[in-house]
Amino acid sequence: MNDVFNITLIYATIRSATPILFAALCATVTQQADILNIGTEGIMLTSAFVAVLTSFTTGSWLLAIVLAIVSGIAIALIMAVANIKYNAHICAAGIAVNMFALAITKFGLKQFLGTAGTFTSPEIKEIPRIHIAALDNIPILNDIFNNWCVTEVFGIVMVVILWFLLFKTVWGLRVRCVGRLPMAAETAGISVRRMKYEVMIISGVLGGLAGAHLSLGYSQMFADNITNGRGFMGVAAMNFGGMNPIFVWLGTLIFGFIDSVGARLQAYGLPSQFILMLPYFFTITILVLAMWRKGRLSEKAKSAL
Amino acid sequence: MTEKKNNRYVTLLLTLLLSMVVGAIFMFALGFKPFEAYVQLFKGAFLGKVNLGTTLQKFVPVLLTGVGFAVASKVGCFNAGIEGELYLGAITAAWAGHYLPKMPAPIHILICLVLAMIVGALWAAIPAILKVKWDVNEICVCILSTYIAKYFTSWLCNGPLSAKTGMPQTPAVHENIMLTQIMKPSQANTGLFLAVIIVVAVIWLLYRSTLGYKFLTVGLNSSHADYMGINSKKVVIQGMMLSGALGGIAGTIEVLGVYGYFLDNFSLNIANDGMLSSMIVWNDIRLVPLMSFFVAALKSGALSMERFAGVPRSIVDTITAIFIIFATMETLFNLKKKKKKEKVTTVSSEEGGKK
Repeated sequence: MNDVFNITLIYATIRSATPILFAALCATVTQQADILNIGTEGIMLTSAFVAVLTSFTTGSWLLAIVLAIVSGIAIALIMAVANIKYNAHICAAGIAVNMFALAITKFGLKQFLGTAGTFTSPEIKEIPRIHIAALDNIPILNDIFNNWCVTEVFGIVMVVILWFLLFKTVWGLRVRCVGRLPMAAETAGISVRRMKYEVMIISGVLGGLAGAHLSLGYSQMFADNITNGRGFMGVAAMNFGGMNPIFVWLGTLIFGFIDSVGARLQAYGLPSQFILMLPYFFTITILVLAMWRKGRLSEKAKSAL
Repeated sequence: MTEKKNNRYVTLLLTLLLSMVVGAIFMFALGFKPFEAYVQLFKGAFLGKVNLGTTLQKFVPVLLTGVGFAVASKVGCFNAGIEGELYLGAITAAWAGHYLPKMPAPIHILICLVLAMIVGALWAAIPAILKVKWDVNEICVCILSTYIAKYFTSWLCNGPLSAKTGMPQTPAVHENIMLTQIMKPSQANTGLFLAVIIVVAVIWLLYRSTLGYKFLTVGLNSSHADYMGINSKKVVIQGMMLSGALGGIAGTIEVLGVYGYFLDNFSLNIANDGMLSSMIVWNDIRLVPLMSFFVAALKSGALSMERFAGVPRSIVDTITAIFIIFATMETLFNLKKKKKKEKVTTVSSEEGGKK
């Protein structure tokens, strides 16, 4: 069992959790304004492709992240315009955007990179890792803290930033007000439409980061449907954390933990399909538990009145 | 009502034109010839026996999954998991087709269908139960459970049910229960008629039966339904189960009509096409057959478009996806009414969009 549960599991957990973390934050910020962001998956997928394409053609990971964010915003804006301006059901718009992302990345892979299925190349410039030379000789700390990817650190920073934005600023108060009771927000002089657009743009930024990290930090490749439901895991983590970035982060850590333990269990002869199934199974379980708890809390709140 | 209906057709046509124009601009910008591409697309879908046959063969699963999605939407659910139900139904049919003893073909086919329907319905019941009990978003559960279904069937056809031929597939079903090929050498089969009968039955069920009335009432307003004495939670579950059963049938027809066995990962998102052909027509079940035929034609024409006009096949998916994005925008073509309603809708649209 020592091969599975050892000190390197801590970093492995964070490594697998980070793509889901960005996705979850992307869903969190919109959910605070009461927009269920089903399109997280699509935003992530598109920006993952754009990141790989830019990194491969220009050789700059920073530019790749920037363009990934831009494309993430573009996809989020499609959803925002469809939902806010043209009254599309947000779930329908989300599903539509997901399909669009699936199709356009497939097309782009064929058109611009000339392959189908998977693209990988040594010329893809990946997001650098932070190497702290001082830690090299300290056994435990080296395993935990050395060689983090820049975006992995940034993900944790982002949790704090988002938490501060949502709960400690006027803007965050307004967003949450829009989410709770749009009519009251309107009466208080807040433009609900404007707030929703702003929130969607921020979710585009976060989703763009999620995609860029997935294809340039977590792995150095792009494949059809590389996100593999991670956007939906993000939505589940958002529900688990009750829209609070800090708890959402804890939720993604659970997913990361399950994912990395699963990967290590493969050596013990379990069929690979069951290992691959594991994260999805636990995501559903956690989602159900989170909603169950939420339902009980709201019932309690009702009976207290 | 009729005016509203006509309006819908006009909107559908306008949306179609708009997305084709967007697609053409897109292709033009990338240096292709859009007109030639569309001509090749049309030719590849309809001209010639093989092409038309392929269109019909692709039409069957898209139709069934599309109607399945539309049925679920009638009770207010997005069944994004039909792909999973299709996989599970397909492997059930493949199992029943090979492992059950020989018996007269019609009975055997019926058993395959019924078993696949039961499995599909039970799988679809999971997200429905979670939704009505704890308000868990059904789209998330559906999508995640589809991955589980895919991996599970993959394990089955690689492990316990493997044909042991080196390919990830189950052993072939009995020869006599294979659905008859029509229009050889294409793979169109009598599953087409089966699908049409089933769809007619579902439409009858929805609009002419008590159960259908319950579905529609719950979909329109579940509190009203509860007030009238309809158990809306139960009806939602029933609706999703019917939807899942249709996914199971789609899988069965794929196995018995096209493949003859279950092949790992065979469907490549057929259910997605069904889903989008239902969503494009706002889940109006009577328009779904038309739209799914159109989508199937696009799919089968795409290959020859790639071959003869040099445009990558996936552009068709991109254009249909653009189509669907436009189609979800309910008020895109409401230019006339817009000014009158503007003041009223400011508040209500925000509320309407909040789900």
